[in-house]
Amino acid sequence: MDHEKRYQERAGRITRAIHLEPVDRIPIIYMATAFSPRFMGMTQAEFVTNPDAPVEVTIAAMDRLGDLDGVNMMPGAFQTVKLSLLWLSKIAMPGKELPEDELWQVQEAELMTVDDYDLVLDKGWNAFLEGYRPKILDMQLYESHIEWIGKDFSDVPKRFRKAGYDIMACGSTTIPFESLCGARSMPKFFLDLYRIPDKVKAVMDVMLPNLIKMGIRAAELTGVPRVWVGGWRSASALLAPKIWDTLVFPYFFDMISALSEKGILSVLHWDQDWTRDLSRLLEFPAKKCVLNLDGMTDIRKVKEILGDHMAILGDVPATLFATGSPDDIYEYVKSLVHDVGPTGLLLCPGCDGPINTKPENMEAFVAAGREFGVVG
Amino acid sequence: MEKPIVQKLADLEEQAFLNLLRQELDGGADPMGILEDCRAGMVLVGKRFEESTYFISDLMMAGELFKQATNLLAPKMPLSGDASRGKVVVGTVKGDIHDIGKDLVVGMLKANNYDVYDLGVDVPPEKFIEVIKETAAPVLGLSALITTAFESMKDTVDAIKEAGIRSEVKIMIGGGPVNQDVVEYSGADDWGADAQQAVTLCNRFMEG
Repeated sequence: MDHEKRYQERAGRITRAIHLEPVDRIPIIYMATAFSPRFMGMTQAEFVTNPDAPVEVTIAAMDRLGDLDGVNMMPGAFQTVKLSLLWLSKIAMPGKELPEDELWQVQEAELMTVDDYDLVLDKGWNAFLEGYRPKILDMQLYESHIEWIGKDFSDVPKRFRKAGYDIMACGSTTIPFESLCGARSMPKFFLDLYRIPDKVKAVMDVMLPNLIKMGIRAAELTGVPRVWVGGWRSASALLAPKIWDTLVFPYFFDMISALSEKGILSVLHWDQDWTRDLSRLLEFPAKKCVLNLDGMTDIRKVKEILGDHMAILGDVPATLFATGSPDDIYEYVKSLVHDVGPTGLLLCPGCDGPINTKPENMEAFVAAGREFGVVG
Repeated sequence: MEKPIVQKLADLEEQAFLNLLRQELDGGADPMGILEDCRAGMVLVGKRFEESTYFISDLMMAGELFKQATNLLAPKMPLSGDASRGKVVVGTVKGDIHDIGKDLVVGMLKANNYDVYDLGVDVPPEKFIEVIKETAAPVLGLSALITTAFESMKDTVDAIKEAGIRSEVKIMIGGGPVNQDVVEYSGADDWGADAQQAVTLCNRFMEG
């Protein structure tokens, strides 16, 4: 079968799973950002300083692993710049602040002050960002990142398609909560939520349209109508219900609705445990989201509550990839398919297959998906 | 019915709690007694967390209130202080620079009357060993957020074995991706999913 035929078959399978329609086989989606270069013999330092490298090594790793249907987050550009812009935090880079082949790490600190809330309210979010970026980014690297996005970003889906793979999400955005949490630092921001919730909410209202635009722009640039909408510190397990109900849920709701109106699917890449609030997700437009979990949310409860409302992507835990055996992975996938599949399930590493994934475990994930994911 | 100062801390009413605390101090109340009340408030917070009516954000806010209280009380406390429940050494293991979860554990342990030796982040095994030997702390808490740090957890436990002090120290681990598999991988004694569980583990270890 040639690559285009293979792409059509895989893309069709993924689309049917997203729409909760029957599939011939449960789609297997790849996500192992830092594992890919290690698997393919590239250092992390090269991976984060060559904007093309993430595309090359991800496709090469997928080819080597075999019959995968697609990639979760479309790779490309400067990885640490992308992360910095989403988290609004500095990232310690391999080959710079960290050894050559170690994983990048978020250096969370209070770089945005309480007074900056007033600046945002006064001058707007973009004006704040102009002054803030140099605090978190090497501006030369940032300029190269923007140049690469303008020149090469739109070609990435074509490269994946040429290799026979579909893309779950072409770019990323998040709700204001997450960006503020990274910029203020979690210990400071969580206190703001108790001390000055009204001001925080006012700032979030200013930010939201910009973050929605970020998602729409990624979809427009690539032609892929699926965007990753991240959540990690805004998870139910971390927040008092009063805070979640006022400063988290309404923003996800508005963002998903706005993206959906533009024909864009939200891939809710949600780390941590969201079990408490799953029933609220029924308020999101049906089949306009995919819930992408990392193993901490009770995925069986998700199936029970949301199984007729949105597809589920996940959730083989990162820890299992790093410390488990191929048999452990096989058992996990088997039970996942049995309990959550076959309709509306897409198999994927939870969050991200970690850098120290044992290669035999990633191979076992793909093999188990093929063995247990066949329907009928 | 709890005392108002206990209740205000447990209900996370920052201004009301601090006003009450200052009033009691100015009125000549025994600082040790006030500290005990603050600890009682933190125990209530922990209970609510275990009952799932409080969440991580509530623990962080409670930790902040307790920290402010101890800052206000410290200058008025007798030099000898009160009897601690025991010593605990805590740190994020080598190769990992994340501190939020570790700091939350440190705050909750202090609020529960433990003497905590916080070694910070990216801590090599030899530093843990040095401080365990110096302090004779019977409990060590290791934190990690990234999966590559599991190796450092294992290295730390192995180094403690090699130093001949493994039987003298109970080792608890925690952090985002940590679970029972990592306990088995690293050779630690147990793990906790959150800061409150770290307190529960310490209590259990101290009871022997």
